[in-house]
Amino acid sequence: MREPLLSAQGVSVRFGGLVAVDEVDLAVHAGELVGVIGPNGAGKTTFFHALSGILVPTSGRIVVVGDDLTGKSAHAFARHGIARTFQTPRVFKEMPAIDNIRFGLEFAGRTRKHAHDAFDEPEAILEFLGLADVAAVPAGGLTPSKQRLLEIGMALGARPRVLLLDEVAAGLTHTEVELTAQLIRRVRDELGLAVIWIEHAVRVLMDYVERVAVLHQGRKIADGDPRAVAKDAGVIEAYLGDEGEPAVEPTRKAA
Amino acid sequence: MSRFTLRDSILATLLAALVLSAMPWLMSDFALALTLTCLMYAGLAVSWAMFCGATNYLSLATAAFFGMGAYVTAWGAETLAYGLAVLLGGLAAAVFAALVGAAVLHLRGAYFAVITFGLGELVRHGITYYEKAYAGTVGRVISDPPETVTIYHTVLLLTALAVVTALAVRASRLGLALRGIGSDEERARTLGVDTRRAKVLAFSLSAFFPGALGAAMAMRWTYIDPLSVFNPFIGFQTVLIAMVGGAHTILGPIASSVLFSLLTEYLRLQFPYLFLVILGLLLILLVLYLPGGLASLLDRWRWGKSRA
Amino acid sequence: MAFWFELVATGLITGGIYALVALGLNLQYGLMRIMNISHGEFLMLGAYLTWLGHTVLQVNPILFLPVVALALFALGVVVYWLCFRRIIRTAPAVEVIEARSLLVGFGLLFLVQNAAYLAWGADLRGYSFLTEAVDVGGARFQVNRLVVFAFAVGASLLLLAVLRWTLIGKAVRAMMQSPTGAQLVGIDTRFLHPVVFGLGLAMAGVAGALLSMVYEISPGMGEPYTVTALIVIVLGGLGSALGSLLGGFLLGLVETFGMHYTSPSLKMLLSYAVLIGVLLARPKGLFAR
Repeated sequence: MREPLLSAQGVSVRFGGLVAVDEVDLAVHAGELVGVIGPNGAGKTTFFHALSGILVPTSGRIVVVGDDLTGKSAHAFARHGIARTFQTPRVFKEMPAIDNIRFGLEFAGRTRKHAHDAFDEPEAILEFLGLADVAAVPAGGLTPSKQRLLEIGMALGARPRVLLLDEVAAGLTHTEVELTAQLIRRVRDELGLAVIWIEHAVRVLMDYVERVAVLHQGRKIADGDPRAVAKDAGVIEAYLGDEGEPAVEPTRKAA
Repeated sequence: MSRFTLRDSILATLLAALVLSAMPWLMSDFALALTLTCLMYAGLAVSWAMFCGATNYLSLATAAFFGMGAYVTAWGAETLAYGLAVLLGGLAAAVFAALVGAAVLHLRGAYFAVITFGLGELVRHGITYYEKAYAGTVGRVISDPPETVTIYHTVLLLTALAVVTALAVRASRLGLALRGIGSDEERARTLGVDTRRAKVLAFSLSAFFPGALGAAMAMRWTYIDPLSVFNPFIGFQTVLIAMVGGAHTILGPIASSVLFSLLTEYLRLQFPYLFLVILGLLLILLVLYLPGGLASLLDRWRWGKSRA
Repeated sequence: MAFWFELVATGLITGGIYALVALGLNLQYGLMRIMNISHGEFLMLGAYLTWLGHTVLQVNPILFLPVVALALFALGVVVYWLCFRRIIRTAPAVEVIEARSLLVGFGLLFLVQNAAYLAWGADLRGYSFLTEAVDVGGARFQVNRLVVFAFAVGASLLLLAVLRWTLIGKAVRAMMQSPTGAQLVGIDTRFLHPVVFGLGLAMAGVAGALLSMVYEISPGMGEPYTVTALIVIVLGGLGSALGSLLGGFLLGLVETFGMHYTSPSLKMLLSYAVLIGVLLARPKGLFAR
């Protein structure tokens, strides 16, 4: 099998006595679009913090394209091609939108090239996201949904190999969610990225990913084809137990 | 602000410096002394804003850098050539800033302000103690200082260099990194910036100029003691000038250093206390009603024009 | 033994004042992120008020303490309304509040200190009050120092008690931990902010009044206390009231012992060395959990 772009091996994160992430293994390869779902407090975001170097895992290793980055600073992860977005968009509010995109190109992505040179200019990325008309607007002045898009653009600017998306669909309208999902698929296809996509509202995600991992109380309880996972007894129970609604099935209408 | 290219701005700076370099032969001694003070504060404020304006750090270390430079001159006046003393003064401050920065730049906000202030005071009290205990002096007289014209040209050169450096930093990747750090440091890290390295580098670079200016001004004052060259007021005044001018700009601090020096020179001698009462009031009003500094007036004016 | 006792007692007396000054400043910072660099100027005003009360109105300085506290409380409310309310409302981030309030603090420092120079001149002023010495545990102290110590510690403990057990104290602590959470449960910052700012100045004023019983006063007397207070609150932890109390005593002791065993000229060197050592080793303060 090919070498994974990113692999988490037995990653645990503990805060004092609380185990937020418990011995999670996850490997993603180029071209994969993997969803990570789980009820509230399942440790999804904490896991992402560990994958992007913001948190150092208490135990376990994180290997990026063969290099063990465990314990390295977040900028080392970024330079190895791990780019991410945040649950609440964290754009550089005072900077014009275009400088937000340029940021990744100048630092994390400086030494790499995209598979597609269409994404090597900040203007091109803005155009792709449909944000060309707000290039000069300070990012803080954009609407929340545009800030979300801009964050994806910032991550693309970093010329990533692996894209980590933390609830990019939260707070978007149904149409916006569909557009975002298509957009994510397009970058994955055109640039050959590995994408890991966390979502709390599971339905949309299940329609678009080819593989889904389920976190529950910090542990990975399932990992595989979305349809199979949706029928998994443990998964249904985890959702029923914690949320009172089986939101896992791929074809249900929006809640 | 980006209507001028980097090259235009640097050319404008050099042109202004060229004009100012003729002043010793055109001005009275009093006016020249005043211009010298303006230049000194402009140099200090621009260097301060170079790091603190972009990163939103609040450094009170300017007095420490300035004083260290001055003491390089004081201790080396007899053995070092003038130019070398100025260079070494700047380098000493830059090295000190790099060491200190590596240790304390993870602190932010009030903590950073207090510790940079404390460091300056620590160095000052350390030197005071050393001079009293081992050198048997309170202050030092600099014998055989260079002529005023030479000092004026040195300070002018240093200030012009500080402005050019600030312009270059702002246009560079380092400048972009610093703005990112000021906006959201962790985010900047996740986009590949080694924030610690960027901060230490910029902090150290911004310390060179106050150090070198301190070394040059010590020659001008001819008598220095720790209290006068490490005077916390130098640090405070620098911060005030930069913030009143608009710390995220370069022109703002320059404009406000001219304003401050003029106000200080003219009013302080005549009405020492009333002057400071008025200065205090003015400062409060400025912060409350013009928080972006003088530079924001310019922005507003441009904004108004572009909409008209 | 008596000698040791005297040294410790001297340290604690100094420390009591430090704690009182630092408490007020720390409360303001902890609640509102206002780094009021003019704190010491209000201490100076408290000292001058007491001096005026004693020399002009012939009032016993101890009886005058409540008047000073009330006057500075009122002044604090006014200063908050005029200067800080707008900053807190308009600043986009806490770092901006810190920076702007620091600048306004400088403005107030210039304004108040130099207004005092205009009003009272640069001469040292003073009065003698309870200067006779008493024997305590084999060491001799001037009565006024003991009074100062008792009131400084008393006022500090009173404030801690208020914070711990009263409704307003609980509101303040809630605000410090979670501003938005506290607002959700209905704590009104429009009321709380000016009151706490006023309380901070009242503490500074009382400290100044107490100092005027022992030392000569001048318009420039406040500045060093602001610096000391900054050191104390960093020692004890920004926003921690108990930390300020302990930090104040600690700094008082360090200074007194340091001055005794080395030389008086090393006093400040020592305080700053302690400050920087603590900041590097424990950035959140000595007593942070």
